[in-house]
Amino acid sequence: MTHHPRSSWTSVPLRVAACGVALAFAMGASAWAQPYSEAPMLAEQVAAGTLPPVDERLPDDPLVEVPLESVGTYGGTWRQALRGGSDNLIERTVGYTRLARWNREWTDVIPDVAESFTVNDDATEFTFQLREGHRWSDGEPFTSADILFWYNDVLMNEALTPEVPSWLQSGGEPVMVEANGDHEVTFRFAEPNALFLSNMATVRGAAILAASPRHYLEQFHADYNDQADAMAQEAGSADWVQHFTTRVEYPHSRWRDADRPSLDAWVLTEPYDGSGQVVAERNPYYHKVDPEGQQLPYIDYVTFDVMESRQSIVLMAINGELDFQNRHIETADARPLIVQNQEQGNYDLWIAQPAWSNAMMINLNQTHKDPVLREIFSDRDFRVGLSHAINRDELNQIIYAGVAPPYQAAPRPGTELYDEEMATQYIEHDPALANEYLDQVVPERDQDGFRLRPDGERLSFAVNVLNSRQFQIDALELVRGYWADVGIEMFVRPLERSLSISLRQANDHDANVWIGGGGYDRLGLLDPKWYFPFEWQSSYAGAWGIWAQNPNDPNAEEPDETVLRALNLYRQVQATPDLEGQLDLMRQILEITEEQFYVIGTNMEPDRVGIVNADLRNVPDAMPNTYFYMTPGPAAAEQFYYVN
Amino acid sequence: MLTYILRRILFMVPVTLAISLVAFIIIQLPPGDFITALTAQMAENNETLDPETLAALRDRYGFDQPMIVQYWKWITGIVFRGDFGQSFEWSRPVADLIWDRLGLTLIVSFATLVFVWVLAFPIGIYSAVRQYSWGDYIATFFGFIGLAVPNFLLALVLMYLSSRYLGASVGGLFSAEYVNADWSWGRVVDLLNHLWVPVIVLGTGGTAALIRIMRANLLDELKKPYVELARARGLSETRLLLKYPVRVALNPFISTLGWILPTLVSGAVVTAIVLSLPTSGPLLLNALFAQDMYLAGGFILLLSILTLIGTLVSDLLLAWLDPRIRYE
Repeated sequence: MTHHPRSSWTSVPLRVAACGVALAFAMGASAWAQPYSEAPMLAEQVAAGTLPPVDERLPDDPLVEVPLESVGTYGGTWRQALRGGSDNLIERTVGYTRLARWNREWTDVIPDVAESFTVNDDATEFTFQLREGHRWSDGEPFTSADILFWYNDVLMNEALTPEVPSWLQSGGEPVMVEANGDHEVTFRFAEPNALFLSNMATVRGAAILAASPRHYLEQFHADYNDQADAMAQEAGSADWVQHFTTRVEYPHSRWRDADRPSLDAWVLTEPYDGSGQVVAERNPYYHKVDPEGQQLPYIDYVTFDVMESRQSIVLMAINGELDFQNRHIETADARPLIVQNQEQGNYDLWIAQPAWSNAMMINLNQTHKDPVLREIFSDRDFRVGLSHAINRDELNQIIYAGVAPPYQAAPRPGTELYDEEMATQYIEHDPALANEYLDQVVPERDQDGFRLRPDGERLSFAVNVLNSRQFQIDALELVRGYWADVGIEMFVRPLERSLSISLRQANDHDANVWIGGGGYDRLGLLDPKWYFPFEWQSSYAGAWGIWAQNPNDPNAEEPDETVLRALNLYRQVQATPDLEGQLDLMRQILEITEEQFYVIGTNMEPDRVGIVNADLRNVPDAMPNTYFYMTPGPAAAEQFYYVN
Repeated sequence: MLTYILRRILFMVPVTLAISLVAFIIIQLPPGDFITALTAQMAENNETLDPETLAALRDRYGFDQPMIVQYWKWITGIVFRGDFGQSFEWSRPVADLIWDRLGLTLIVSFATLVFVWVLAFPIGIYSAVRQYSWGDYIATFFGFIGLAVPNFLLALVLMYLSSRYLGASVGGLFSAEYVNADWSWGRVVDLLNHLWVPVIVLGTGGTAALIRIMRANLLDELKKPYVELARARGLSETRLLLKYPVRVALNPFISTLGWILPTLVSGAVVTAIVLSLPTSGPLLLNALFAQDMYLAGGFILLLSILTLIGTLVSDLLLAWLDPRIRYE
């Protein structure tokens, strides 16, 4: 399984691709020297003698990135807006650089910083070829020694990394990383780790390169600098560990430091430190060129205004002050404004395809601490009855303006894992049928018509919902009515998010609603929490999810046989090298999910929209919208450019 | 008088310490800690952090220690080393973060204060002296509107209008080109161009309230016999008005001056958030949401000290203004 960047771009016009290939062949690696060109702002610096010429800055064999539509021209600023102090938009845009990353279509992992990579047959060895002559943004060489610094001095340093993240472990053993010469590194796992490359393409993979620039980071590291502690205290940190980690760590803190050299297309000049606008400018040593030999990125600067409220970001958008963004402006309430003001703001729309299938899943906690509720919630007939009681068509019309058809928590249509039966089971609104099902579980009613628990008390429970999600609160109010019609008393309980999360982590909730439930194939493979109890967020069976994550947690409970079988199948997914095999195993997991009917789905999560400056080119019309895809990272912003 | 002031200042020390302890405990009362808040924020966006990362963070920040130990570390750091700790969220020293925001916060607050006083005093005096005149009715009408309209709504409307019809950039205190620039004449002008929106938004409520208070106070005073007497003595109307009744009517303003000091630093949080002002209010609110306890604690400590100082100052001012309540 060897990848080469050009072979993965299936969607580009053939003519352009062929032209790029022809050029590459005609020139050969060293013959590229002549045609390389650079942005005017860098050419000035070269002329002034403050920067080496472009041939010396580029790797010997740069990555030739074939643009989505057309070869571009240099210049301009990409304006975006962040919200508050802990927004990860920089990570998704400027920071989407890894050894290997997602392709645009989210079907494969392709080389990025690595020139190529190979995987052995049982997915225990991953070898990355680095580019000769590749340099950090400050001009220092980037070699396997940098990766080894990350491995030996950060990942394997117990003070900096008390516990190795699970994606870098296999069979209970942390990864081994070895260098073979200056330009090759091998990641070796004790047992197959088939999802390693996929994980690297998500947010996780950035950690490696962020902590790799040894020539910069050594000064903060106690093993290399006796004064590291003193230096840390001078800067206001408690010790060198804190001082070091805040420079390289996710979330957010690595963007607080504008001095850290990177391999990204743009490098920070004004950090994200709360004092004003965040600014990044082009990295003169970036390793990609277009088919005509122009060094990327095309765009000179990236700016992020730091706003405090969603409303002001929406206003910026309709006022034409943002060039390409979907974060913060894609909520249902903002959509009409965004759509109406395209002309005034001089922008077009693109589709941010939701990765999750369900706009509101209802999760009844089947591991409830109250044994009576636990037994009722665990009864499949009870959940089926509740599902039939919901009028999803009415929800669609009233809450979602008719764009969210009824859907269960199942993979989205058009994916490999899509299963119509799973997506539509128990979806019809049929109160009579609902009563039939419910009568099998809780037949007795009190004088108000509400059903009674076996112990004679009225069956009553609260559904937690985030107070920031008004549309879900509204939808739940309707659901409360549907359920009251079949004799179920439910309360809608809007909660602040920290409280809501604390309750879930302690398995202290009756039920909750969330956006989620299946989605794209890749999402299912990487994050199966809505298919079976996999982590604490699987709140339909909180205690089991917590167990799957950490059996020693005080709130953990060993799951039943079925869940253990699903967990076991998922371990096999992690150990199966080829995608087909992984998907086959996922289908077996989904059979369990469909049979168990853990989650009551309501309506399909509708498409969201992002905006793009009408003068910006090489931007896809649609892309998946999720943290696991790092939207809009894989859209390859380095090849965006402005006309005019 | 001097001993009185000294005694007040000495008394402020234990009060401040007590406030700091209470504040520290209250900040930590909500369930969970900074890590919980971080997890919650990410979960809301359907994002997750690896449990190993979370465990490492929790360990590093010492959240596993008992609260009183954490408090002791924090307060001794402040008292003995002037070290307010580091913000978890921003990975920066708390003192730097607060200091960064303080300058612009003071500018906005002072401009608002001046706006309010310049507008409210003449109007208040006018509506009292010309009670039930057309001018009084108009001032009263707009005053009540100013009182009734919530600031954030006014901010949204002004922001929408100015971006829709004036093409001004949304929110903030500077245009894009001046945000990170050093101070220059151009930057000052740019600031003034943006300053009017927050000043109007923040000032309307205060102006309206002040007009009403001034009017009511002054109306009480104007009916008193000493006014009659002064008039009988042949004092000119203006001199009479400003020298006696207005001076007495000022009492409530001076005695509440102490409350202005802390609001200069933390006031108008909601408005600042809507307008995305780079002031300290949003920073404090976010720190509380994120359970970034050293940052929040640092803020609350600063605010309580300012309140104490402000109260002292207003007591002294009041004594200076009004001989009747002087402390002998």
